Amino acid sequence: MSLLGFHDVHALYGNARILNGVTFSIAASERVALVGRNGVGKTTIVNTLCGMTHVAQGDVEIRGKKIRNLRGYTAAQNGISIVLQGRGIIPNLTVEENLLLGAATRRPGPWSVARVQELFPILAERRNSPGLALSGGQQQMLAIGRALMANPDLLILDEPSEGLAPVVVDELAALLIRLGKDGLGILLIEQNVGLIHRVAERFYVLSKGAIAESGSLLNVSRDELQRHIAI
Amino acid sequence: MFIQILNGIVYGGLLYLLAVGLVLIFGLREVVNFAHGALFMLGAYIGFAVSAAGYWWGGLVVSMVAMAIVGCALDATVFRTLRKQDHIVTVLVTFGLMLILETVVTAIWGKAYLRYPVPPLLAGTVDIFGEPFPVYRLFVIAVAVAIALSLTAWLRFTRIGLYVRAASTDPRITSIQGINVDSLSLIVVGLGTALAGLSGVVAGPLLSLSPTMGNYILIDSFIVVVIGGLGSFAGAFIAALLIGQIHNFGAVYLPWAATILPFLLMVGILIWRPTGFAGSRT
Repeated sequence: MSLLGFHDVHALYGNARILNGVTFSIAASERVALVGRNGVGKTTIVNTLCGMTHVAQGDVEIRGKKIRNLRGYTAAQNGISIVLQGRGIIPNLTVEENLLLGAATRRPGPWSVARVQELFPILAERRNSPGLALSGGQQQMLAIGRALMANPDLLILDEPSEGLAPVVVDELAALLIRLGKDGLGILLIEQNVGLIHRVAERFYVLSKGAIAESGSLLNVSRDELQRHIAI
Repeated sequence: MFIQILNGIVYGGLLYLLAVGLVLIFGLREVVNFAHGALFMLGAYIGFAVSAAGYWWGGLVVSMVAMAIVGCALDATVFRTLRKQDHIVTVLVTFGLMLILETVVTAIWGKAYLRYPVPPLLAGTVDIFGEPFPVYRLFVIAVAVAIALSLTAWLRFTRIGLYVRAASTDPRITSIQGINVDSLSLIVVGLGTALAGLSGVVAGPLLSLSPTMGNYILIDSFIVVVIGGLGSFAGAFIAALLIGQIHNFGAVYLPWAATILPFLLMVGILIWRPTGFAGSRT
């Protein structure tokens, strides 16, 4: 049984059809990358999961259960945490309050404020700072820490390397590999081939609102993957 | 002079009780609620009806509960629908609601001014620096301070308060954390309209009851919200006290300009600092 599945999903913003029959699935503890050039509908997949598009056709399944009436809170309440593009830090809340917000679902699990602060010591040092006072890399740590606070089974990250220095991207890759080895499922929506290759086991290529290709990353070189992104 | 300052705090306290409801509703729903003054008026009439049967404090409680229910119904049927509409649509719809509520109250209680009695427990005066001051006015100040402190504690130290602060800034991000912002909004709008009911009852003995009694104070409350900063509770508290003093001292020392002074201050603030004292939105 998959943790998350899109089955022939057609999704619209108003009258504009962005997804044209997207089908993919992610099983428990899998690390999957969703790649594609700008504007092909990668973020629309996240927005569809958050109920922000109109699903005209097809089904979104979480743990094998078709979800009608997707809402912003549906994914988190079903064990799927999302780190949005741009990180989505609430600017007027402190670092610690942003973390506490992530625990809203009260799902049981290993993650707590203390454990997240142990993973990212800077979040303990800056616990009383406003979220936006952090650097880009620190904000990404806060966004991931907040997502972990929900004790998810699947972590979706939308363009997490955007705006980060290469050394921080390396740290991010190491972190995601470590979380994946601990059993956390990861859906990495990315264009950074190096990060994808280090973190993911499988990939889907999204093109013109549909999955154009998929496979194991073991069989695909970085150059080939780069070519997929550039199609 | 001290008595004048106290009178200014009384009016500021009433403004705060009304303005904080506007802030709560705008924060969660981004609805500029022109019906809020009419909800204040309806709350005063409901309290008056119960009070006339001899239950002043019962009137206070019944009014708050009834207005909370009205608020929840408004949120579920009107504000939720207006969420994705242009601001001008929300202004027109809530303005229409105001007219409907005024017509309903006129049909039930008539247009004549009604006198809301002071409860026996709070009748009389106390001497402050040798001058008599009504106990009831001190009660109004106490209610405003108690609400300000309770609301601050609720927002700052409770889990729901954290969600409200988050959703007031970014409802989408808040929702993605697993929080049902519509359910949260039901609580918040219900609280905001309950406070309108509370302020209507508390203002009843100070103002005469009439179907249009909410209009003037609503305008002052909007000025408070704008000056304090859209979405800012602390800003609304400071601005309400400031407008209360301007209103009161203006009436005594510059009666010809008293009605325009709050507007002049608002224009000045909007030019100097469009986000208000403590807001982050324009």
